Amino acid sequence: MPTDNNSVMVEMREVYKYFGQLKALDNVSLDIHDGEKLVLIGPSGSGKSTLLRSINQLEQIDHGRIVVDGIDISDPDTNINKVREEIGMVFQSFNVFPHKTVLDNVNLAQIVVRKRSKKEASKISRELLNKVGIIEKVNEYPDKLSGGQQQRVAIARALAMKPKIMLFDEPTSALDPEMIGEVLDVMIKLAKEGITMIVVTHEMGFAREVADRVIFMDYGAIIEEGTPEHFFKNPTQERTKLFLNQIL
Amino acid sequence: MVEIKDKKKEKRETPRPVIAVGDGAAIPTKEDVGLFTAWRVSFVGAIATVACLVIFSPDPYWRILKFLPDGILVTFQVTVAAIILALIIGLFTGLGRISKNKIINGIASLYVEIVRGIPLLVQLFYIYFALGRIVNVPAMASAIIAMAVCYGAYMGEIFRAGIESVSSGQMEAARSLGMSSSQAMRHVILPQAIKTILPPIGNEFVALLKDSSLVSILAVSDLLRRGREFAAESFNYFETYTLVALVYLIITLFLSKLISIMEDRVGANRQ
Repeated sequence: MPTDNNSVMVEMREVYKYFGQLKALDNVSLDIHDGEKLVLIGPSGSGKSTLLRSINQLEQIDHGRIVVDGIDISDPDTNINKVREEIGMVFQSFNVFPHKTVLDNVNLAQIVVRKRSKKEASKISRELLNKVGIIEKVNEYPDKLSGGQQQRVAIARALAMKPKIMLFDEPTSALDPEMIGEVLDVMIKLAKEGITMIVVTHEMGFAREVADRVIFMDYGAIIEEGTPEHFFKNPTQERTKLFLNQIL
Repeated sequence: MVEIKDKKKEKRETPRPVIAVGDGAAIPTKEDVGLFTAWRVSFVGAIATVACLVIFSPDPYWRILKFLPDGILVTFQVTVAAIILALIIGLFTGLGRISKNKIINGIASLYVEIVRGIPLLVQLFYIYFALGRIVNVPAMASAIIAMAVCYGAYMGEIFRAGIESVSSGQMEAARSLGMSSSQAMRHVILPQAIKTILPPIGNEFVALLKDSSLVSILAVSDLLRRGREFAAESFNYFETYTLVALVYLIITLFLSKLISIMEDRVGANRQ
């Protein structure tokens, strides 16, 4: 583990999170480096989504410390909205705004949060919609879009904030199989640009191609971590082997 | 994987949330053929009856009809002013009811409980005379305030249900983009909630118009009070109240129709 603090983007120390009796996060400590592509895998209910959501405080942790880009977000005095501006998030269920056109979906937070003018925001939005390959739908409402297209709008919407970190929470799990590719392609393209990415996914092909490091979680704890090669060739933990056997 | 697919299916099949408010006029819809016919029969019937009465028996009906319009105007003034005020109170009450702040939530819930537990007529008297003790408010203003305070509580429940009908993922998406909770509420949640909120608000509007007849107890010359004044002078009680009832009926039927047309429009524009 590198000790150079400047390069650490997310630092988690002894993080615990409970849902009632259930330990969703059980003593998780983790450093995620600037520009790193981290993939979280594990069975459902293993705590990987909770870990992801605790980084932008959609889940409030019960114990421990999380520092994002030098700001301690577990400190109650931290303005979490400021931190969230720097953390893009993509959800399993897309969560595009159904009452706004594709362009306005991408514009909204730029105008409201970043205080960009409408013109400036639209320029950035169009560039990003072009990048995710959906520029021809710019004036459509989301209900006219396929799931894959909605998810690409959601990615563009998050990128428009120019975040330092992107969180992906099972971005392809709600998609029909033929649409998974188009979303993964966008994510692979994004990964090449050097942004820090933390991805919860069941797409092992994606993990193999993009990940710098893979983390396997079960029962709220990190069971095993390593490079994709390590994971797919010779995992050491029994539970990891079992899980990989089930999904590969 | 199977589990995830099932979840997705569920999501798709979940019907759009509908808020059912039992009170107020039934707003006719196209699907509801029986009610639609009933609406026609009563609307055309009421107008025809008024016309017949006025034509065949101008004394006293024509005299009564000429006497009422001032009252209709007052009824509308009270209704419109009260509904606007009630919407504002309702918005804040609804937001208060979903607030995580215990004090704000407590105050909003208390307000709703108290108001719902006291009959409107008692509230009208109470606010009228309570306000009268502290400040000298014109009868009209205190009537409007009392109606708004009462209906604000019901509106609050409608707003709360409407806001809660928007999926929690929308709030999470907005917050994850760095919006504050009030920015998210304003730009993301409320615009979506409005579509669910509009039909019951239409219902409340019609209900409030009918309940506004209660203000005739105070010194407000609304439609009912104008009728009472005329009847007291001419002793034509039966004739006057027949006409008053018919005029109320025509107004509420007309408004119900208007609201159902508006709802259709909103439904058609729904994206």
